[in-house]
Amino acid sequence: MTDPKETINIENVVASTGIGQELDLQSVAMDLEGADYDPEQFPGLVYRTQDPKSAALIFRSGKIVCTGAKSTDDVHESLRIVFDKLRELSIKVEDDPEIVVQNIVTSADLGRQLNLNAIAIGLGLENIEYEPEQFPGLVYRLDDPEVVALLFGSGKLVITGGKEPKDAEHAVDKITSRLEELGLLD
Amino acid sequence: MTDARMRSREQERTDETESESTDGCPECGGLVVNDEEHGESVCADCGLVVEEDGIDRGPEWRAFDSKEKDEKSRVGAPTTNTMHDKGLSTNIDWRDKDAYGNSLSSNQRQKMQRLRKWNERFRTRDAKERNLKQALGEIDRMASALGLPDNVRETASVIYRRALEDDLLPGRSIEGVATSCVYAAARQAGVPRSLDEIADVSRVEKAEIARTYRYVVRELGLEVAPADPESYVPRFASDLGLSDEASHRARELLKTAKDKGVHSGKSPVGLAAAAVYAAALLTNEKTTQAKVSEVADISEVTIRNRYHELLEAEDTIPV
Repeated sequence: MTDPKETINIENVVASTGIGQELDLQSVAMDLEGADYDPEQFPGLVYRTQDPKSAALIFRSGKIVCTGAKSTDDVHESLRIVFDKLRELSIKVEDDPEIVVQNIVTSADLGRQLNLNAIAIGLGLENIEYEPEQFPGLVYRLDDPEVVALLFGSGKLVITGGKEPKDAEHAVDKITSRLEELGLLD
Repeated sequence: MTDARMRSREQERTDETESESTDGCPECGGLVVNDEEHGESVCADCGLVVEEDGIDRGPEWRAFDSKEKDEKSRVGAPTTNTMHDKGLSTNIDWRDKDAYGNSLSSNQRQKMQRLRKWNERFRTRDAKERNLKQALGEIDRMASALGLPDNVRETASVIYRRALEDDLLPGRSIEGVATSCVYAAARQAGVPRSLDEIADVSRVEKAEIARTYRYVVRELGLEVAPADPESYVPRFASDLGLSDEASHRARELLKTAKDKGVHSGKSPVGLAAAAVYAAALLTNEKTTQAKVSEVADISEVTIRNRYHELLEAEDTIPV
């Protein structure tokens, strides 16, 4: 049996930062190559980096959200690219703006089928949310680490809401031990 | 004396054997249970009423003083949570007739009109009561349209009252919360209605009902187990005009599916629809995917997919 922790894979990292000054998005959109800006659809300007692949959402307030990266290093790397691009447009950006990771989405595989009905009862109906009529996954909110796990019948799970890559590992550990305790993992 | 007691005991014994021999439904051989509330003996499997108007042999309601004697009253409706005033206040009839059925004079009519107005204002004094009145009316309307029994209406009303007391209403519509209360109550009572059915009779959108339902369940800490696909089977089977045999078979299919755990994450309505369809085929009864799809409000594609899974689950069972 492979350790479910080895199947952990980071799918998305979302981080936010800011350059501390307001921007005229219209003119930034004109000057910045490859930028999408359609205020009718979305109030922010979207700038996609190719390597590493991610999308930066730049807002009028000067705040920037970076999403779509596969690791925390990638987030820093792609935001560095964005900052450089903005400096090229002679927009003042301080040397090292603070980057805060807001959310990490991780996937993992427990490697066997899960009986979600039994798990729903076992974990206690007050701790989980399982509405197969609305969504096939079972939503399990953990307190420590403070993440939300979606368990699926196939044994795959998605962990979201973590701030650090370690949170996902803790969550997987906790879930497997809880399920083993309940004898629902065999 | 002793003789008499012996005889009565003997009689009891024969009574007992008699009641034992009547065990088992004459139609399907299922278990017959006693429903004391309705005074009926009912088959738990097919619903046949074996015996009705049963006699309550319990002790008579006795009173020891005058106060208890008053409480022993057998008149008046019981209180109910499905009315905003629990059914305790008085209603003035809208027909302008006196006790003999004669029409009132115009003077009296005006007076009654005024009294009626004030009575109504007095009955629903504040916003909360008006809110409750509207919501409970809505709950009753939807429950009727869905054919839900009284106990579900009562539960739905109690859930709504709790939601109102816990201030869950601000920011949500009365109709939305009322609808989700009906949905939750039906699920809790084991007579679930699918979200689609609920949305059909409600004034709000399915997405909003689902959202409000999750909110109400979370905030009130209601424990609602995932709906059991088996509880949809009898309704679908009777809508399609299938036999008892077919619905038995459908439930069997679902039981093996549950043992195999292939139902995880699948919509219970879809599973029930597919089981009914498969059972009809297995018992050589005529039905089509289109008909099942219409009755259950589930797409034919879903029925086909679940149908294959159900039959596979049945095949792989080690004998």
